[in-house]
Amino acid sequence: MTTLPGDAFLLTSALDDDGDARIRITGDLDWDTADELTAAAETFLAADPPPRRLRLDCAGMTLCDSLGLAALLMIHRGAAGTGTRFHLDNRPAALQRLLDITGTAHLFTEP
Amino acid sequence: MTSVEGSSRSARGLLSSVGASWMRAPYPALVVDALGSVVEINARAADLFPAAVPGTALAEVAPDWLVDGHRRAVRGGSGAVDTVRGRHGPWTLAAHATLGAGGEVVWWLVDETDRSLAEAALRTEQERTAFLADASSRLLASLNVERCMELAVELATAYLADAAVLVTPAAGKRHPLASCVGGAVVHRSVRLDPATVPGLAEALRGFPPVPSRWIDPAVLPEWAVPDGFAGPVGSVVVTPLPGHGVPAGALILLRRSDHAAFDASEEVFARVFAARAGAALSAARLYREQSGITAALMAELLPPSLRQVHGVEFAGGYRTSTDTERVGGDFYDVHPGAGPGDETLAVLGDVCGKGLEAAVLTGKIRSTLQALLPLADDHQHLLSLLNGALLSSRHTRFATLVLASVRRRSGATRLRLTSAGHPLPLIVRADGTVREAATSGTLIGALPEVRAHTAEVDLGPGETCLLFTDGVTEARGGPLGDAMFGDARLQAALAECAGMPAEAVVERIQMLVAAWIGDNRHDDIAVMAITTPRTTHLAAVDGRTPGRYTA
Repeated sequence: MTTLPGDAFLLTSALDDDGDARIRITGDLDWDTADELTAAAETFLAADPPPRRLRLDCAGMTLCDSLGLAALLMIHRGAAGTGTRFHLDNRPAALQRLLDITGTAHLFTEP
Repeated sequence: MTSVEGSSRSARGLLSSVGASWMRAPYPALVVDALGSVVEINARAADLFPAAVPGTALAEVAPDWLVDGHRRAVRGGSGAVDTVRGRHGPWTLAAHATLGAGGEVVWWLVDETDRSLAEAALRTEQERTAFLADASSRLLASLNVERCMELAVELATAYLADAAVLVTPAAGKRHPLASCVGGAVVHRSVRLDPATVPGLAEALRGFPPVPSRWIDPAVLPEWAVPDGFAGPVGSVVVTPLPGHGVPAGALILLRRSDHAAFDASEEVFARVFAARAGAALSAARLYREQSGITAALMAELLPPSLRQVHGVEFAGGYRTSTDTERVGGDFYDVHPGAGPGDETLAVLGDVCGKGLEAAVLTGKIRSTLQALLPLADDHQHLLSLLNGALLSSRHTRFATLVLASVRRRSGATRLRLTSAGHPLPLIVRADGTVREAATSGTLIGALPEVRAHTAEVDLGPGETCLLFTDGVTEARGGPLGDAMFGDARLQAALAECAGMPAEAVVERIQMLVAAWIGDNRHDDIAVMAITTPRTTHLAAVDGRTPGRYTA
């Protein structure tokens, strides 16, 4: 399989020392990749006990379209169900703008 | 015995040189003298011709083709006959002749039964493969259901049967049929009971076929035997046409009684053919349904053409995504107020995703909003109700939209604008300044609670409020092909639209965005302009009603 530049999508998952779940995303969060992120988050949320926090590091996120935002909302919904805080770290300007316009920033930015 | 002694002596001489091992040779061999009498026969040959003992006439114990070959070998001498072939009982044999000095012939027999069976099987298989390749390419070339049915029965009669009837699942109370006999195809729609043909009810539900030997041709109902079928039906095969997920129908194959009945391998082959026909038919049916759905949705979802309503101009423009789905996720509507003093509600929005799911969500939003129109006085309340109607536990597909309640007052237009998670409407003043409307709110359909803040804006004559989807600002293009059109460019473009009629504003913005995009792919693009016309105010007749305006 050839990977075109800009096509690279990568999720790195880890549990840190505080017991927080961390996912680092690299690439576009869109129709093609949203399910992959949702699945990665669900894996953490399904743990017993669920993590207190789920942090998504967005520094490497190159794009987030409406389906990407739908995936973030789905993860937020799942996290609320398990009492996990879902937080977006290192939000690029475009993502912040999308969250601001859609009135959803407060869901992902509580400390 | 004495009459053959002369020739047998020389043969014995021959045999003595190879000794008794000849008798145990792994291949059948026999020696026949010039007069046609068997002189010697080894053990394997004796298995083939149990009646042949030395002294018997070959003609009495061997098949005609070998007797005939022997005669020619004796008559023609060395080189006249090399090899003869023929069947003997269940075997296919090749007989190679070697001429002895005394005129006797040694026949060496090779069992070619397996080889000839394999060759015949290979030929059949090659023919079938060629037929299937041809059938597939012809069947798949059409996405028309009737044409697919025709081809399936034509091909079946050309290769498999004397007549074929294709039964598709009932459309209403009748089953559409296609039948073919002698190359002539007939389409019919018949009210039939599948139980009247053994195995048909099962085949229509996709179960494997019952063996043809279980089907009595005499019990076939009239519709199952096409007009023009000459003579009684000898054998019948009923095989399912498996489709994509659901059965596409069943194929009934008929042979006349003067033709060989379907054997097991032909029944298997009929199923293989039916699988191809079923796949093609199913694809054609799915395509027909899909295009029907798309056409129905298109008719429902295409944006309305807008016009002047109660003294305010509305204009809209919609350019669908370059991707294949024809129905996109953007929409707009204008619901005129009941009278000139009532508010008109304009909506422009964007649902998450594309294609059928987006189209369904769009339709749901538009019809829900229509039902909620009486509550349009309170945008926050209306959005809460809409949000509740769209919430689904299964997904978080959402919509963003802008509500604009519009009422003309003398000299100006009062707008109440509410963004539900949507890019903010832009207001262009008569002097060319452009501002975002001071509204904000939450997207709709994904969260249990939504909040929204409504902005009030007055538009003087020649002033415009522009609603748009992010397809405008996120349109990629420009000199290098990858820059976004962006807010700044949109605002600059809009600044030049001060004083223009609504329709001209929409055309100008669309034209600039189209030029920016060039040949690049783009998302749905929707814009709507709400403009107070630069009017001549026709004075109210009685001084109390709002009066009339002309553009």
